[in-house]
Amino acid sequence: MKKTLLLIAAAALTAGCAHEKTSYGDARGVETVTNQFGSTDLQQIAEAMARSMQTASAISSGNLPIVTVQEVKNKTSEYIDTRAITDSIRSELQKGGKVRFAVDAPGMTQQTEEIKRQQSEYYAKESAVEKGQMVGAQYRMEGNITSIVKEVKNTKDVYYKFNLQLWNIRNGLLEWSDEKEIRKTTTR
Amino acid sequence: MNAKWLVTAVAGAALVAGCATKKGFEQPGFAFGCPIGEGKVGSMGDLVKAKTAMEGRRTTIQPTEMRCSKTGDLLKIDANLNNDSSSVKRVAYKFRWIDREGMRAAEEESWKPLMLYNNSNLMISTVAPSAKAVDFQLILMSQE
Repeated sequence: MKKTLLLIAAAALTAGCAHEKTSYGDARGVETVTNQFGSTDLQQIAEAMARSMQTASAISSGNLPIVTVQEVKNKTSEYIDTRAITDSIRSELQKGGKVRFAVDAPGMTQQTEEIKRQQSEYYAKESAVEKGQMVGAQYRMEGNITSIVKEVKNTKDVYYKFNLQLWNIRNGLLEWSDEKEIRKTTTR
Repeated sequence: MNAKWLVTAVAGAALVAGCATKKGFEQPGFAFGCPIGEGKVGSMGDLVKAKTAMEGRRTTIQPTEMRCSKTGDLLKIDANLNNDSSSVKRVAYKFRWIDREGMRAAEEESWKPLMLYNNSNLMISTVAPSAKAVDFQLILMSQE
């Protein structure tokens, strides 16, 4: 009994003393901690989609088309912040310098609030923005991400498919669409 | 006799001109459509060597072919990776983009993992992130 207690105490002491080690890693490195949707998947998807979209004739024509970002539906069984994916795609496209982005639906409240604020009595009239000057988008970007998960005793296989589309708002035509597939398998 | 001579001379000149055109198919400073600057590239092997680098763990996966073209004002690259071993290999790759001044033209790309079956080839394709990116390097790292 005494021996058991001593052992438990020693184990607790060891666990308590086991010091943590923190180090910085490569944010763009290959992450394979689990087979859930991760940073490598997000980065791969954003890069592939942005690069592909830049070659679409609607974008590459050189007249700086205006695009608005709509929802990417998460049809997988896990939680994925799809806004993080579209934000990365938008950043990559913006850096490419071929597209301009119009304020999207989630940002609309902030945009109109700011216009209203500038039109209040606190601002000089000549520097305050006027109502009715916002520019509408010519294209809207939307998509979805789906997954197929299969699991047997020691193996888990996850297949992701990300699909992105660029729609012409005026005529409703699909101007560009592309997909990125990712397969990850974990074995114990 | 003179007319015969003239015809032969014209045919000869046309032949030389034809050959010259074929030889001059590649723009100066380019090999297989890929920018090479002032480097000397005489073969596909030279080009692959000039455009590829290894980082981190070395891999036996080697590019065997590389071709470039332009899509609009963006550089487009196709690179064929070869696994000549009898086992499946895993690698990660990324492209590093360089501008006209030899500076980084874009932020460092993320590593993209790949699986290559034994005795197989895999074509990787990419497009430059912007028109500023006029040159590149393919970086490979083993994921074994």
